Amino acid sequence: MIHIENLSFRYKNGRKPALDNISLTIHEGEFLGIIGGSGAGKTTLSYAINGVIPHHFPGDFYGSVKVANTDTFDTTPGRLSLKIGSVLQDIDSQMVSSVVEDEILYGLENFSVPGDEIEERLLSALEAVGILPLRYRAIDSLSGGQKQKVAIAAIIALRPKVLILDEPTSELDPKSSEQIFDLLKELNEKYGITIVVIEQKIMLLSEYVKKLAVMDKGRIILSGNVRDVLGHSSELEEIGIHCPRVVSLSNSLRDRGADVGGVWINLDEAEAGIRRLIYD
Amino acid sequence: MINLQNVSFSYNNEKVLSNISLHIDKGEFTAIIGSNGAGKSTLCRIMNGLLKPSSGTVTVNGMDTRTTKSSILARHIGFLFQNPDRQICKNTVGEEIRFSLDIAFTDKSMIEKRLFETLSLFDFDADSNPFHLSRGERQQVALASIIAAEPEILILDEPTTGLDYVECMKIMSIIKKLNDKGITVIMVCHDMEIVLDFAQRILVLAEGRLIADGETREIFKMEEILRQASLLPPQIARLAARFGFDDVFYVDEMTDIVLKRIKNRRKRTG
Amino acid sequence: MKGFFDYVPGSSYLHRLNPLTKLLLALMICIAAFISANHLFLVMLIVLNLGIGAQAGIFTRSVMLLKGLLKLCIIIFLLQVLFIRDGNVLVKLPLNIFITDGGISSAFMVVFRLVTATMPLALMLSITQINDLSNVLVTKLRIPYPYAFALTTAIRFIPVFANEMTGIIEAQTSRGVQLDTRNIFKKIKLVLPLCVPLLITSVRKIEGSAISAELRGFHLRTKNSCYKKYAVNINDICVIMISVVIVGSAILVNSIF
Repeated sequence: MIHIENLSFRYKNGRKPALDNISLTIHEGEFLGIIGGSGAGKTTLSYAINGVIPHHFPGDFYGSVKVANTDTFDTTPGRLSLKIGSVLQDIDSQMVSSVVEDEILYGLENFSVPGDEIEERLLSALEAVGILPLRYRAIDSLSGGQKQKVAIAAIIALRPKVLILDEPTSELDPKSSEQIFDLLKELNEKYGITIVVIEQKIMLLSEYVKKLAVMDKGRIILSGNVRDVLGHSSELEEIGIHCPRVVSLSNSLRDRGADVGGVWINLDEAEAGIRRLIYD
Repeated sequence: MINLQNVSFSYNNEKVLSNISLHIDKGEFTAIIGSNGAGKSTLCRIMNGLLKPSSGTVTVNGMDTRTTKSSILARHIGFLFQNPDRQICKNTVGEEIRFSLDIAFTDKSMIEKRLFETLSLFDFDADSNPFHLSRGERQQVALASIIAAEPEILILDEPTTGLDYVECMKIMSIIKKLNDKGITVIMVCHDMEIVLDFAQRILVLAEGRLIADGETREIFKMEEILRQASLLPPQIARLAARFGFDDVFYVDEMTDIVLKRIKNRRKRTG
Repeated sequence: MKGFFDYVPGSSYLHRLNPLTKLLLALMICIAAFISANHLFLVMLIVLNLGIGAQAGIFTRSVMLLKGLLKLCIIIFLLQVLFIRDGNVLVKLPLNIFITDGGISSAFMVVFRLVTATMPLALMLSITQINDLSNVLVTKLRIPYPYAFALTTAIRFIPVFANEMTGIIEAQTSRGVQLDTRNIFKKIKLVLPLCVPLLITSVRKIEGSAISAELRGFHLRTKNSCYKKYAVNINDICVIMISVVIVGSAILVNSIF
């Protein structure tokens, strides 16, 4: 689905490369989390996938990025957005309308979706993210979580095969953050949309995503199944990524002689592991 | 230090805070938790006099916020906002800190002394341009310029939102250091692990009401209260609760209890 | 603070009109205000404005708008009264200043005109969704889309920037900057440096908006892209005719009196 090969990028006027020799393949139907400290290059990588780089931000671009067999270099971010939908970091500035309905219509209109199909797509997008009652509301009057859902609905109305989100929960409380991730999980499982999400909250990621890629200084230093990645907890700690506490718990039990099996990555696994240890 | 008595606050005819009474003593480290829109930020702004209560009274060191100028209250309370970019308005880190010092002190030698102390506490280069720094570093610059003026109380409105773990720990360790020196800290925070690790006391807000106020570990045991506020206890506490282990919050505590249970089982079966 | 330009949802007669009709009505009232040289007619136009506000369910806002304009009106009124010396002298003040009946008359005229010409546009923006306005500008008036987008983005960002400015003022007040001073010169001196953070945030937000639009096919939009249809019906024709009548009567009143 997404194929990145030896990608390096340096922003014009940038001293160091923002991306340094990245190779990454994301298959259809995956739910991938990207983590890393600030300045690690996560947002730049998302721009490279949706074509904003090199088309919007100039700079030195090496290597190749292919999304659904299209080289991002040969097309425009607008054209690409039919294949890959992007939710940007700043919720407020990415809205182009003042009313929810118009925000969803915007992309549909631009891509000349036929009139009789527009209404149906509008409704199903609102329905899919569970904000049908908000259709006529002013965007200014919504909460952060609701705005985030509007942004996602505006993208999935275009029926992209891939969805890439840049820290969609950064402004949200724990409950709304979980709601957003529940929604992403549903889009991934029910509609088969490939999802790539950049996120600082590793505990949240480990409850939901199947794969993780870890970035540091413009490179991907680890990638794979969540369990394999979190197994390197001391290396992650070194680059400033703090694993969920159940990971530390399984390490600590293992170090003190308990047979924990593999690393526990989330609450359910930790519960099952402890039950096995103390009851079986 | 800070005293709120039957404080309510309405905005556009909507009640944002209703009937809140509380007292915060010198040297406390208090966390305010609650979901988006519960009134946490409003409560902070009520405490430092940016907002005046619609009814009830707020006093800071005995001064009524309704009758005291906000510039005078600012001498006692430092306020760090979530977004440092709303605060930073000078071209170098040194000037930014000096800007706060010029407001707070008149004595030239005092200003120079505090500038030097603050720069070394944070390990800053005075000539660096804040706009070339990362978000986390800018947050530190904002914090530095606030604490340079030596406030007795520090209010932090989501100081770690948008920061990575390292940046987060850097900010929190400085705040901890200040608290150890006796500065009162009040912090809004969404990250329950940070609240657990740093705060001694928690205020739980839900729909503008103070639904719980108590010691950190006690509050994190009140699952029903937290549920009302749409919050969850820290991860290890949640895990412990699934086994009915009481008063377990940290990895070490959980490790000990699990190992003890394993030993007991061996005794019984062996 | 609620702005004067943000959309107030509703389904009044005026809300349901074609955006172009609303724009036309607003412009015609403005034009009538500038043409008319009759005090009574101008006062009637102000009443008409308030009536429009009442019909659209935003009467309170219309009154607030009037109040907001009051300060400016007083300043302009005083300047006019003190510096226009046509007609008969009514009062003689020291420093060789006269107050004349002509001065008072023209001061009232200027103030009335100012009010009548400002209100309609603000009211129109309160009852018209900015996207609808942009859509009719593109589809009916054939204005190139990038210009319409720039216009709508500018208007949409007014409350965002106002919010940002409030946040900046809060942050600075909290660190002890005396923005609550009554000395206007001191205040300006204190507020000016705050434009730095505002500017930086604005540039960042506008950049985000541009990327977001680009990622949703901004460049592919044509004048036929718009999904909503903006039909002109009998109500619109009525209002258009009323607008013409308003300008007509302004001319008529001028020629009679």
